[in-house]
Order: sequence, then C-alpha cells, then structure tokens
Amino acid sequence: MIRALGSIRLALVGMLLLAIGAALSYDNPVDTPVWVLVAPLAFLAVNLLAAIATNPRINRRGGLLVFHLGLLAIIVLAGIGRLTHLDAQLEITEGTAFSPSDLTHMAKGPWHSGALEQLAFVQGSFTVDYSPGMVRGLTHSTVLLPDDRQGWQTKVVGDDRPLILEGYRFYTTFNKGFAPVLTWTPDGGGEALSGTIHMPSYPLFEYKQDSSWTPPNEKGGGKEIKFWLRLKTGLREDAAWVLDGKTATGVLVVNVDDRRVELEPGQSVHVPGGVLRYERLTTWMGYKVFYDPTLHWLFGAAIMAVLGLGTHFWRKSGASLQIAPARVKDAPEVPRASSPDTAAGRSV
Amino acid sequence: MNEATSVLSVMGYATELPWLWAGLTAYVLATLIAVMGMMRIRIGATTVGTMTQASPRAHEKFVLLMVVLGVALLTVAIAERWMRLGHGPFVNLFELLMSQLWSLGLVFAVVYWRVPLLRPSAVVALPMMWVLGGWVLALQPVDTALPPTYHNDWLWAHVGLGKFFLAFCLVGTGLAGVILLRNTQRFAAWFRHVPADAVLDALAWRFMLLAFIFHSLMLTAGAVWAQDAWGRYWAWDALETSSFLNWLMLGASIHARLTYRIPIRVGAIAIIGVFVFAFITYFGTPFYSTAAHKGVI
Repeated sequence: MIRALGSIRLALVGMLLLAIGAALSYDNPVDTPVWVLVAPLAFLAVNLLAAIATNPRINRRGGLLVFHLGLLAIIVLAGIGRLTHLDAQLEITEGTAFSPSDLTHMAKGPWHSGALEQLAFVQGSFTVDYSPGMVRGLTHSTVLLPDDRQGWQTKVVGDDRPLILEGYRFYTTFNKGFAPVLTWTPDGGGEALSGTIHMPSYPLFEYKQDSSWTPPNEKGGGKEIKFWLRLKTGLREDAAWVLDGKTATGVLVVNVDDRRVELEPGQSVHVPGGVLRYERLTTWMGYKVFYDPTLHWLFGAAIMAVLGLGTHFWRKSGASLQIAPARVKDAPEVPRASSPDTAAGRSV
Repeated sequence: MNEATSVLSVMGYATELPWLWAGLTAYVLATLIAVMGMMRIRIGATTVGTMTQASPRAHEKFVLLMVVLGVALLTVAIAERWMRLGHGPFVNLFELLMSQLWSLGLVFAVVYWRVPLLRPSAVVALPMMWVLGGWVLALQPVDTALPPTYHNDWLWAHVGLGKFFLAFCLVGTGLAGVILLRNTQRFAAWFRHVPADAVLDALAWRFMLLAFIFHSLMLTAGAVWAQDAWGRYWAWDALETSSFLNWLMLGASIHARLTYRIPIRVGAIAIIGVFVFAFITYFGTPFYSTAAHKGVI
C-alpha cells in the first residue's frame, strides 16, 4: 500500500495536477480557489513521503534522498508559511510613529501570531532618484528606530533593502506623495484637530493632486472641503531629478461652496463650521508589509535539495561526460539503436 | 525626445551594433563549417570511397574557433552597451537576446571542446542561434534604465543560473535533434558515424538533468531576489508561472524516462519540447504580459 502511494506513476499524476493548478493560478485570479494548488501539493507530499520510505532507488542513494527530502520540506514549509503569513500595505506620514491600525489591505494566515504591537519606528524623510524620462531610480527612506539608550537611531531603507522588525519586512513602494498638515478649529471654541491629508501618489498622479475632507460637525452634515495642492518640486521629465520632500513647496487651494482660497503654509481660512489652517507641507511613504517566519528555512531546504541532486548527478554522470569518440578512420560501425530496449539501464 | 537627444542616441547604438553583427556572422560561419563537415562525409563516402580526408573532425577546430570568436565579439558588443548605459543587459528584449546569444555560445563552446561526442550536434544547436540572432537584429536597440529593484546581487545569480539552464537545454536539444535527423532518409548519411542513439540519448538526458539542477537553482535565486525586490518570493506572475511549469515539465520528463521505457525518439521529442517551452518562457512572455515580473517597474 505505502509502496503504491510512493510510485513514480502517482508522482507524474501529482505533477500534472500541480501543473494544472499552477496554470489556473497565473496572475492570482480571484475566482480560482487555493485548493487547485493545495490538493496536488498535499498529494505530492504524501507521494514523496511514501517514496522516501519505500523506494530503494531513492532512500539508498544519498543525493536523491536529500533532494526528495528537500522537496518535501519545501512543500511543508510553504504550507506553514501560508498559515502564518501576513501581507499588508501601509501609508505613513513623515514624523509619525507606526501603528498597526494604519495597516490596510491586510491578509494573514489563521495561525499568524506575530508581534505587530511591539513594532516601533518613526517615519522620516525620503528621496527618490529619477532618470530622464521619469524612470524611477533608487528610493532612500529614512526611519528612526528606538535604541537601547531611550534615544533614536537612524536607518535608511528602500527598494530591496527593507526595514526588518521582529520578522516583519517593510518594503518601500512606488506609492508615495505629499501631505498638507492641517489644523481645524471649530466655531464656538471646541477642541482643535490636527492631521494630514494624503494626496495621490506623486509623481504618478502629478496632474491630479486633489482630495477632500468633511470636518466634524456636532449638528451633523458638515460641509465637504475640496483641496488641490499646487506643487513646486523641481520635476523635470527630460533630465535627472530627485524627489525630495524637504525642498518641495506647495500652495493649498481650498474650495468650499463657491469659494476658492489659496493658502500658503501658516495661513488660515474661515469656512462654514470653523477655521482651517494650513500648517505646512510634509510627505507620506507607502510600504508593503510582509511576514513569513519560514523564509530562511525555505531557502535552506531549497539549497539542500539542489545540493542533493547535484551530488547525485556528480556521482552518476560527472565522469561519463568525458566520453571521447573513437577516431573516425579507426572507428568500427557502431551499432545503431534498433529498438527502445537498447537503452537498458537508463539513469540520469 | 528632442532632435539632439535622438541623434545622440543613434550615435550610441552604432557602437555596439557592428560588434553584434560581427559576432552573429561568426556564429553563421561556425554553422556553415559544421554543416560542411557533416556533408563531406557523405561526399567522401560516395565518391572517394574513403573517409580519411572527409573526416568531420577536420572541421571541428574551425567550428570551435568561430564560436569562440563569436562569443568574443558579442562580449565587446555587450561591453560597449554596458559602458554606454551603465548597466548590464538585463532589461529589455534586445538586451536579453544579446546576452543569451553570448551565454549560449560560451557554454556551447566549452561543452563542444570538452565533450567531443556531441560535436556533430553543432549542426542542430547552432542554427537555433540564428533564430535569436535574426530576432535581435530586427529589434530597435532602445536605451534602457535599470529599475530600482535590479540593484541586487541575487539578480546576477538568478540570470546567470538561468543562462546555464537554457544552454544545457540547448546542448540536450542538439543531441535530440541528431537522434531524430539521423532517422530520416535525407540526413541519415550525415550522422552515420555518430555513436548509437542509445549513447546520444544517455548523454542528452545527462545534460537535461544538469539543466534541471540549474533550473532549480535559478528558481531559488529568483525567489530570493523577488523577496528582496518586491516583498514576496512567489506571486504567480507570467515568468514565474511559465518557468515553474517548465521545471515541472522537465522533472516529469526525467521521471517518465525512468519509469516508462519510452522510445528514444519520443524521449528526444520530449527534450525538444522542454527546450521549446523554455524558449517561450524566456522570450515569449513579453508578448502576453506587459510586465514579465510583477512589480518590475
């Protein structure tokens, strides 16, 4: 029974099912269930386990044994990884501290039990290099991390250099932009509110730097305020350019009802319900957040598998690649393979 | 782009194109010499009656010389472009084809030199370079900028290992082609002194196993790069899906050969099938996916 489960024929069936599952999973269509991959992988895991236990062509050959154990480990680790993973997006304003409640588009496995609440960093400024033609180059995002002396240490991350905290990886993305800092003081002396409005990603939506906000109103039905940010960033399409929030300036155009007011940093405007003050211009950075505790183990298993296969190849074939042909003039007529059976004793 | 920029770009292209043309010409000459070597056996056997003067081995050193010359010339072409743009040939199809022509030639030359048994397969393997060569000459050598996620050492490992995979597939395919061609009436005489099908079959599958090892390494290195670059090690994008299917196809072919005593010619067709799928993975993906790797830009 176990021997039958570990047959190569079943392995081929499993591979075919996995190939179908992989083809169906191309580009992660939302209507394709995860089972098209999970079922063949589970089937192959059982097949591999049985083959390792019963097939002497595998378990008596060190290299092949290591290779198949490595494949089994990859399947198991990938499964554990999906059960414990976390994927999310984050938009964080310069000068503010990370909060797990800021994560959006979050997807996580049922066994995820990470330490999100323990993560602490403050977003600093960033720069992004652009080549002529608006081709994005390297991102340099500064983050502040608490050190052992109750202070902060600076770290620069970006692109393929993620911020890694407790196994959580924060990757900068193309998604970043500007954020006017606003203060809202309601009429009648209520408590003032401060906050930021994240304008659309820049320079991707350079032509569309607008947003809106509805102030709170005790009576309900506050008036929506529309904003448009007129930026001066030094953007050039025909030359190299650096996006730098420190050197950028912006005029905030406020539209409410039929009024249109342009505000420089530090200026205020009275609108229905209160006073809106444009304090200054700052930036926000978009991160992709990823957590998978099996990453290093997966890499180790993959390397182990390939080393096993390499060892097997070297022992079986390494020397025999050096076959030299007989000299043509001395060569006897070499018998041609008349049937497939002449290829007896096949091994690769 | 203004007129001045356009002129500068055209002047820049001119620096690598002559070397590219020269390298491809060397490959064409290598192919012609290889074919002449095989044909001379036939001529010698039918008209002179002796093979001493007609030995294809006399041509082999010239074939090797031409392939090595082609690789050297393509090295200069790639170096010219690299110095001009400031980055390696990793970004657009023109660069990928040019670098593949270089790596396929380099690996084939080494194998041709070290494994004399497979030298007759040059008449099958080298014409495949013509496909890439003709294709690259039909493309505009547009300047590219290196995306931010390409500033990563694992990119080099991923690309390098992939080149070995495709090159070993090419070697296996050359041998598979000999097995199929020698069984046709038209080409039987070309390969009459080549060892038996079983010997070529065994050698071809050894190279396919070598290709399988490098394919596995390529996927591993690519996963590490993808994790660094885009924050995920696997996302079923166009290239990932296609290359994984290719890995499965090769793995299944190796298992099938071990399990079922498939006829040698069927095995040869399977090898060619794996190579064709690999070819489509490498060079066909841009035609059905706007971004080969998700998030590449």
